[in-house]
Amino acid sequence: MTGLLLKNVSKVYKEGNEEVKAMDNVSLSIEQGEFVAIIGPSGSGKSTLLSIAGALLHASTGEVIINGTDIASLSEKQLSNVRLKEIGFILQTSNLIPYLTVLDQLLVVKRMTGSVSVADKSFARELLTELGLGAKLNNYPSQLSGGERQRTAIARAFMNNSSIILADEPTASLDSNRAHEVVQLISKEVKARDKAAIMVTHDERMLGYCDRIYRMEDGLLKHVENHQASV
Amino acid sequence: MFLALKELRYGKLRFAMIGFIIVLVAWLVFILSGLGNGLSTLSAATIKNMDADYVVFEEGSSSSFSKSMLSESISSDLKDQANVEEMAPFGSAMGAILKEGSEEGEDKTDVAILGISPGTFLEPKLIEGKPLDEKNQLGVLANDTLKEEGYTIGDTLTLDGSTEKFQIIGFVENETYNHLPVLFTTLDHWRLYNFAAPGSNNGIEDVVNAFVLQGTDIDAAELDKNLDGIETVTKGQAVNGMPGYKEETGTIYMMLAFLIVISAFIISVFFYVLTIQKTNQFGVMKAIGASNGFIAKAIVSQVFILSLVSVLIGIALTYATAAVMPDGMPFDLDVTLVIIFGAALLVISVLSSLFSVRKITKIDPLTALGRVE
Ligand SMILES: Nc1ncnc2c1ncn2[C@@H]1O[C@H](COP(=O)(O)OP(=O)(O)O)[C@@H](O)[C@H]1O
Ligand SMILES: [Mg+2]
Repeated sequence: MTGLLLKNVSKVYKEGNEEVKAMDNVSLSIEQGEFVAIIGPSGSGKSTLLSIAGALLHASTGEVIINGTDIASLSEKQLSNVRLKEIGFILQTSNLIPYLTVLDQLLVVKRMTGSVSVADKSFARELLTELGLGAKLNNYPSQLSGGERQRTAIARAFMNNSSIILADEPTASLDSNRAHEVVQLISKEVKARDKAAIMVTHDERMLGYCDRIYRMEDGLLKHVENHQASV
Repeated sequence: MFLALKELRYGKLRFAMIGFIIVLVAWLVFILSGLGNGLSTLSAATIKNMDADYVVFEEGSSSSFSKSMLSESISSDLKDQANVEEMAPFGSAMGAILKEGSEEGEDKTDVAILGISPGTFLEPKLIEGKPLDEKNQLGVLANDTLKEEGYTIGDTLTLDGSTEKFQIIGFVENETYNHLPVLFTTLDHWRLYNFAAPGSNNGIEDVVNAFVLQGTDIDAAELDKNLDGIETVTKGQAVNGMPGYKEETGTIYMMLAFLIVISAFIISVFFYVLTIQKTNQFGVMKAIGASNGFIAKAIVSQVFILSLVSVLIGIALTYATAAVMPDGMPFDLDVTLVIIFGAALLVISVLSSLFSVRKITKIDPLTALGRVE
């Protein structure tokens, strides 16, 4: 089975004597080619869900199945390999490496898997050109605008051709024009490349690009039947 | 390697600064090692040059040539001992020489006057002139540094505070003893000079300071048992017994050790601070799938490249310094020492980067999601 499957996942953070239930019995299944949005107030557990789906964090209870593999029993090293091969992250701020050019930002991902082939290089160029960065291949992050940086981060997430894309508030640091542009691009790439994608956002104007919408509240995930109604 | 090189290129200035410090440390390390080597040559080159394994001193002389007096009469007994292949007597004295016929008040030259038997393995190779000869008691071999002081073959030398005279018949090279250039003379003539005052030889007949032995399998303890009043030590111990030798080399090696430890600290602290600054960056890399090994390799190779380049620059600067140093400086760069200290600096700096590596393995990839507390 490909795609992402969460079955009755709960997550409890323990801080001292306090316990915070960040996810409460969450189940979610996403197929290839689906773009799912999660909205909800801050502190409701959205990032926690994404971290668990992205093999960054272990669930307290429940199963997380990534492309058919239950990740609960994997070692730290195996988890980093899952993140590398199966998952593409797009983070809140673009989080690019300051001393790498746009093209190298993508190639370093290939370096992590071993070596960089000629085909990898042309794939990276193709991705970046699709995202409108064809003229900026040799620029450093400090020479890019916020939107360009976020688009570089999107290209990076697609570089390893992983089947799952996870985006945590990818538009948080952008103005609304740029935000539309970026989400549109994510949606286009998800469809064109047949990925299973989750985007966490609190910008409800972005929901039009997504296939399904969920709302997270106090750790509980609820399907939103008609997002127009929910606004 | 990829990340390491890219970052070095991007952050030229900050890495140039730390590289500059490593260059300075390496430079100082190499200069000190050259100085140490030069000083130890100056203080004991003649003994080090000897193709010898053991030295026999008078008992209780603590391996010091000047404190030891033995009679040459035991030489045949020594030669008969097990495993002794060759044996040569040796005597040393200090003096000041003056060219005969020079004006009153002209500069004297301090020298070491060493008595040997002509033809023994203690007689060094000539670079010019004729060898020592029992029939020419006046003749001496001089270290070639005396040429710079204006001495030439055929010069007759008067000795300060003595009626003895010498004549230079040949030159040898790299022969210094007790920081002074050496004059080799015959044992007989050395005795005439050194024991001119009646009774100064303690009544020992045919006195010498020590016997130098060849024979790798010699049992020093056995020798000391078989012959009365002697104390046999290795050549290395005899070198250590030279006045000031241990103190000089000890001081220099201590400084070298400190320098290397200091450079280890500088490098590890610098890279540790860099690593802490980049915690978030490394968290992101881990989140997108970098293993600990991938990041660790980047840091270690960065330290390696930076130290390698800096040490090489340090070596180049050291040789440049050596080229402009005045001739009289006791500075003697030894290629093997340069390689050893260079390698030590490299190994130490790479090891010191392991602190940063340990830090990396503890970074949680979750930091990439930027949870705001
Ligand atoms: N590492 C953590 N340790 C303890 N509590 C945490 C941690 N991460 C998140 N939380 C808590 O879990 C809840 C959900 O957080 P989060 O998933 O970041 O929400 P969101 O992304 O929707 O704002 C919050 O109450 C938050 O304080
Ligand atoms: Mg969040």
